[in-house]
Amino acid sequence: MKAVDIARQWLAARWNAERREPRSGTITDWLDLVLDAGWAAPSWSPDWWGRQLSTGDSRDIRKAFKAVRAPGAGQDLSNIVAAMVMRFGSDDLKREVLPGLLTGRHRQCLLYSEPNAGSDLASLQTRGETCDEGYRIHGQKIWTSGADVADLGLLIARTTPRSQRRDGLTMLLLPMRQAGVDVRPIRQITGESLFNEVFLDGPLVPTHYRLGEEGQGWTILRAALAIERQIMGDGVGEGARTKRPHQSTSLINLLKSTGKLSEPALRLETATVLAKRHLTELTQKRAQSDAAAAKVSRLPSLAKLAMSDVLHSEARLLRRFLGAESLLDGPAFPVAAEANYRAANAYMTSIGGGTDQIQRNIIAQQILGLPRGDGS
Amino acid sequence: MPQSPISRDERSAMRASFRKLLDRHCRPADIRRSIDTGQRFDPDLWQAIADLGLPGLLVPAERGGIGGGAVDLEALMEDAGAELLPGPFLSVTVLSAALLSAQMEGFEEELADLASGKLIIATALTGDRGSWTPEGVTVTAVETEEGWLLSGSASFILDLEAADLLLVAANTGEDNALFAVTMPDASVKADRLTTADLTLDLGRAVLDQTSARRVPGVGASEISAALDLARIAIAGAQAGLARHMLDETVSYLRTRVQFGRPIGAFQALQHMAADMLVAVENATSAARAAAEAHDANAPDRKALVHLASFASADCAELVTSQAIQMHGGIAFTWDHPAHLYWRRASAQAQLFGSPDWHREHYLRALEAVS
Repeated sequence: MKAVDIARQWLAARWNAERREPRSGTITDWLDLVLDAGWAAPSWSPDWWGRQLSTGDSRDIRKAFKAVRAPGAGQDLSNIVAAMVMRFGSDDLKREVLPGLLTGRHRQCLLYSEPNAGSDLASLQTRGETCDEGYRIHGQKIWTSGADVADLGLLIARTTPRSQRRDGLTMLLLPMRQAGVDVRPIRQITGESLFNEVFLDGPLVPTHYRLGEEGQGWTILRAALAIERQIMGDGVGEGARTKRPHQSTSLINLLKSTGKLSEPALRLETATVLAKRHLTELTQKRAQSDAAAAKVSRLPSLAKLAMSDVLHSEARLLRRFLGAESLLDGPAFPVAAEANYRAANAYMTSIGGGTDQIQRNIIAQQILGLPRGDGS
Repeated sequence: MPQSPISRDERSAMRASFRKLLDRHCRPADIRRSIDTGQRFDPDLWQAIADLGLPGLLVPAERGGIGGGAVDLEALMEDAGAELLPGPFLSVTVLSAALLSAQMEGFEEELADLASGKLIIATALTGDRGSWTPEGVTVTAVETEEGWLLSGSASFILDLEAADLLLVAANTGEDNALFAVTMPDASVKADRLTTADLTLDLGRAVLDQTSARRVPGVGASEISAALDLARIAIAGAQAGLARHMLDETVSYLRTRVQFGRPIGAFQALQHMAADMLVAVENATSAARAAAEAHDANAPDRKALVHLASFASADCAELVTSQAIQMHGGIAFTWDHPAHLYWRRASAQAQLFGSPDWHREHYLRALEAVS
C-alpha cells in the first residue's frame, strides 16, 4: 500500500473529518499521536520520529491531513527550526527539543534581520560572546514574527570577534523566555502586529544549543531561507491572528461580487491576472514532479518571486474593480477591507524573506550563472 | 484523439531523432537561405521529416500513422520552436492530420499519403479578418449536379504554396463543413501574403465556383478540435522559442564585456533575465498542462488551451523583445538572428486566435466553474 494511503487509513480511524477534531483527546494529545506515529516528519529516520519516506510522500501525506483539516503532518517540509535542528543539531539537542518543536509545545521564531542588516544580512552585528556555559548574546533583531509567544528562536550571531560578513557567524537556538530577551511589537501597514523587535541584553545560549560548528552559520542560514522561500512560494501567508470574513474567498468570486465582471474594459486584465496564479500553480506542480523524480530543478527558486507578482496584481485588480468603494474600509465594507488588506499584505511576500530584487539577483546569479556585480 | 500509446522511452527517442534532424536541416544558414531566396519549402527538410514518420504523428496507427497524442506533439514543438522550424509541418502533421482523421470514409488514401509525407496538405479555415471562428469563414459551398462548388476568399493559409491539396472550411447555408480542393486549380487564385515573419509561407486564396469534394463528418466542432491541437502546438513552439532566446541572451550577457566586466554583472540586465526565466517556465508549464489535459480529455482542457495560448504568446513577446534590447546594437542589425525570433514570436501569437480572444475565452471558462 502506498504511504499516503496508510496515512489516510490512520487518519480515518482517529480524526473526525466532519467535525474537524480528533475522535478522542485534545489537540495537544493529537499532535503527540501524530508525532509518535511518524507522520510529523515522515521523511526522517525512524530513530527520529520519522518513517524514512521520500519528500514526495511527505508532501502527499501533508496534503491528505490538510484535506481533513488535521494538523501536525509533513513538518519536515515546513517546520524550519525543527528541520535545522534535525540537520545540524547534536543528538542531545535533537532529543531535547524536537518533540516539543514538532508538537507545538515549543513555539519558534526566526532571529535573522537587524535594523542595519536587512537585504545585506551578512553585515549583521549581533554577537555571541563565548562563556563557560555557552554564549551570551548582545544585539538587536527585527522582523521577528511570533517572538512574543516563542519559546525558542533560531538565531544567527557573530561569534568570532572582528569577523567580517559571512565569516565568523554561528547558528544558535536561543531560549526566549529568560532575562535579557526584550520583545517589542511592530505594527505593520496592514494594521496587525505580527512582527517584533527583539532586544538581546546578555541572554544565554547553552553550548549544546549551538547548531553545526562555529563559523558554519551562513551555510545553515541559507538552508533555512530556502525552506522559507519555498513556503512563501506556495502562497501560504502568515497565520493572521484575527479572521477576516473574506480571507479565503477566491479572487474571481470577489470580482463577481462587485457586479463589474461583465465590463469589457476589465475582462482582459482579469484574465491576465487570474492566469498568473494559475500559471504559478502549474509550475509548482512541475517542480513537485521534478522533486518526486529526484531531478535537480530550478523551479522552486522561482516560486516566491512569482507569488509576489500574483499577490500584488490580484490586490491591485480588486481595488480597480471596486473603484471609489476601495477608499472605504471596515466591517461595513468587507470586500473593500479585504482588498485593502491584501494590497498592503502583498508586501510581506515582495519584501519579506528576501526582496523581489534580491530574488532576481539570486535567480540571475545562481540559476542563470550571471556574474556577481557591484553591490549584489 | 485517443490517449497516446507511445511510451516515455519511445517519446525520448523520437525527440532525440527530431533534434538531430533540426541540427542538420534547420540551421541558421538554412533559415537565411529561405529568407534570401524566397523559397519557403525545403524538400530535403521535408523528406527528413517524412523519413522519421512524423507527418503521421497524430494519425492512428491502424490508418498509417504513429498514433501519438498532444503530449508527443507539444514535446517536439518545443524543439521545433527553438530552431524556427518552417512549414509545412504544422499544416500537415497537426491541422490536416486532425481534420482527415476525423472523417471515416472517402479520404483514407489521402490520410495514408499524408502520414507517409507524400501528400502536402494545407488548411484554409478563416477569412480576411483572421479570427479562426466559425463566423469568420467567408467561403460558401453550393451543392450542384456536378458536385460541390466553393466561392469566396480564405486568408492566413499556412503553406498554401507548398500544398498539393487544400482543405477549405466553407459555409453550406446550414453549417460549416470541410472540403478538399486539389492544388493548383485554375479557378483558385492563390497569392502569397507578404508577412513580417520572413520564414512563413502564408497565402490568400480566392475561389470562384471551385469544384471540391466534401470531407464527410467534419463540421464546426471537428474544425475547432483541430484548431485546439494547433494551438497546443503553437504554445509549445512559443515556449521553446522563448527558452532558446533566453539561453542565447544569457550567453551573450556572460561574454559581452563593457565597463571592464561582462554586462551580465549589471543588475538591470540580471533582473530582466530573471523575469524572463519565470515567464519561460510558466509558459512551458501551461503548454505541457494543456497537452496533458487534451490527451486525458480532462474537464478543464479548453480553459488550459486558452491559457497556454495567451500565456505563451505574452512570454514569447516579452522574451524576444527584451532579448533584442539586452543584446544592444548588434541585435539591431539584420544579420543577427534575434529579430527572426521576434518576428516568429509575433506571428505565432496571432495564429489561430489572438491573445486577447484567448483571454476572453479563458475568463468565460473560469466563470462557468466558479
